[in-house]
Amino acid sequence: MSENYKFDTLSLHAGHIPDKETGSRAVPIYQTTSYVFNSTEEAASLYNMEVGGHLYTRISNPTVAALEQRLAALEGGASALACSSGMAAMHLVISAICSSGDHIVASSKMYGANINLLQHTMPRFGINTDFVNPNDPEAIKRAIKPNTKLVFGEVIGNPGLDIMDVPEIAKICNSKNIPLVLDATFNTPYLMQPFKHGANIIVHSLTKWLGGHGIAIGGAVVNGGNFDWGDKYKFPTISGPHFALGGISFWEEFGPSALIAKIRAEGMYNFGPSLSPTNAFHLMQGIETLPLRMKKHIENTHSILDFLVNHEMVEWVKHPDLETHPDHEVAKRILPKGSGSIVAFGIKGGREAGKAFIESVQLASHLANVGDAKTLLIHPGSTTHSHLSSEAMKEGGLTDDMIRLSVGLEDINDIKKDFERGFKAVKKLNK
Amino acid sequence: MIINFKGAKTYIGTGGKSLDINKMTLCFLHGSGQNHLSFIQQARFFAYKGYSVIVPDMPAHGFSDGNPCKSIKENAKWINDLLVDLKLKDVVVIGHSQGCLVALELNRILKSSLEALIFVAGSNEIPVNQFLLDLSKENPQKASQMMVTWGHGIDGDMSINKWPGHSHYGEGNNIMCMNKPTALRYDLQSCNDYSDGIDAANIIKVPALAVLAKNDQMTPLKSGLKFVELIKNCETHILDCGHFLPSERPMELNSIINSFLSKLK
Repeated sequence: MSENYKFDTLSLHAGHIPDKETGSRAVPIYQTTSYVFNSTEEAASLYNMEVGGHLYTRISNPTVAALEQRLAALEGGASALACSSGMAAMHLVISAICSSGDHIVASSKMYGANINLLQHTMPRFGINTDFVNPNDPEAIKRAIKPNTKLVFGEVIGNPGLDIMDVPEIAKICNSKNIPLVLDATFNTPYLMQPFKHGANIIVHSLTKWLGGHGIAIGGAVVNGGNFDWGDKYKFPTISGPHFALGGISFWEEFGPSALIAKIRAEGMYNFGPSLSPTNAFHLMQGIETLPLRMKKHIENTHSILDFLVNHEMVEWVKHPDLETHPDHEVAKRILPKGSGSIVAFGIKGGREAGKAFIESVQLASHLANVGDAKTLLIHPGSTTHSHLSSEAMKEGGLTDDMIRLSVGLEDINDIKKDFERGFKAVKKLNK
Repeated sequence: MIINFKGAKTYIGTGGKSLDINKMTLCFLHGSGQNHLSFIQQARFFAYKGYSVIVPDMPAHGFSDGNPCKSIKENAKWINDLLVDLKLKDVVVIGHSQGCLVALELNRILKSSLEALIFVAGSNEIPVNQFLLDLSKENPQKASQMMVTWGHGIDGDMSINKWPGHSHYGEGNNIMCMNKPTALRYDLQSCNDYSDGIDAANIIKVPALAVLAKNDQMTPLKSGLKFVELIKNCETHILDCGHFLPSERPMELNSIINSFLSKLK
């Protein structure tokens, strides 16, 4: 991160200075597919990755690049790449690092789609994953095999809210020369910057808190630049000669930005999960107020935690900032500003009570998203994780009565009143 | 490519093309605490324009092993011996920052045929303040971070980069971290100790080009302008950026160098 400008300033300015020709203060939306070459020589230079620049929006775009450079600055990374969604970001990382026959160690307590990708889709391409408890660094160490190419987890697990002990796990990965890849969506760089704790690669769903307004889907890979890809046997497609660009070695030619260079040259070029310039603009508008919003998200979360913990209709409440959370000490250490604005709680009365509650509240929205400025609720057992067996749900720390709450920025007393409406409906049901 | 040179693993970037000793060779010399990656956007560019390109990682820098050179003259001797070892004949030497001082000394001793000298963000002297010299010994990582911050113009602070998605600071810090921890201290001390720049500049007989940076805090423009006065007929350009000119203004720099080289042919 810049030593001259602080986080709040970078949230507003990084990646863009006013356009010299037009004076545009806002980042312009470059809604174009392609870019005129000044000469055949210039075109060849861009295709050969001799110099930076834009040739086709599937690969890069000036508006998207401003977003990428803002993310790199906020995370303190060497480089970043924005793409169409958080899941696209995860797939881009895996496909850039792994080939058929390779192995991944991943957290067993993650977002359902992350588990699906690793458990069902990637094995069809010869990439297998062992899932382990993210709170058990020793289990992660034991699961690493000679063909393990990355360790993956969520800093704050979705929806179970387990906290990974990032510094401990990073030490293990470092000793084995394996990159630690973290989904940092729930913490955002405002609450915690994983590279400072030894992680190597970050994936984000920008759709959530970074974008913050529930209006644009997007994802990003941020590269710490702190991983040595020089082992040609372990990472042959990054350090060894690659089919693209005349046998390029991304590691030799791009060093700290080798991974992003490879993803852009291969992943974006061949798979094409590009982010639209307009969505990049919307997401950047969100990032401009990230520090303000995150402060309020945390303030509201702590207020609603007090409310729920003391409510007669609530069976249990889970949030890493509560002393009762098993990872509270880790959370205090690595997330001192707060552990995000997702709260899990169970309502007395089980599955039916949960359903009645969700269907009775009016202000909180029942939908499959988190990190919006507005308060959101969902019942994972019947929605986001409904495809998982009960056993798999239990392994992921889920229960039938669990409600996932994404605390918004409203006046928190209005949300509490809204919840009382829901609890009243549950009371009626229980009678 | 990696060779064994003077008993140590030595990495030489060639811009993604094989080295052809029969062509004119552009030899890029990196600055203090840097390595071949400070010329990311020059090496491939000129290699794909038909030149042979070498960007050696000096000992203990980047992918090269060995002990760091302890003076500018020792750096120049090492490069001279490398050029001889590689059997390179027609060489244009392009130095950045400390690489300019090495180029000045190389001009005195080079046994290959020197076609031209190019100085990027250079001067005939690079004094280093005592605080940074001390910090480079005590905490080279912190010293590197400070150099990366001072070394860039506004593009560094604002995370503006011609290469989409890249951060000057993040990338710059990690490039410097790739070196052996002792590399920076000897580089900075070598720069500070070097005092033969005036004489070395006065005896340059080959065509010379200087590209200076308007907002350079490491080798200030004022010092650079005095330096070019010492060189007979030195073509001089000033770009609006900081000290890390090769990554801050890659296309402009490449275009100036390309135009200069075309006049040599």
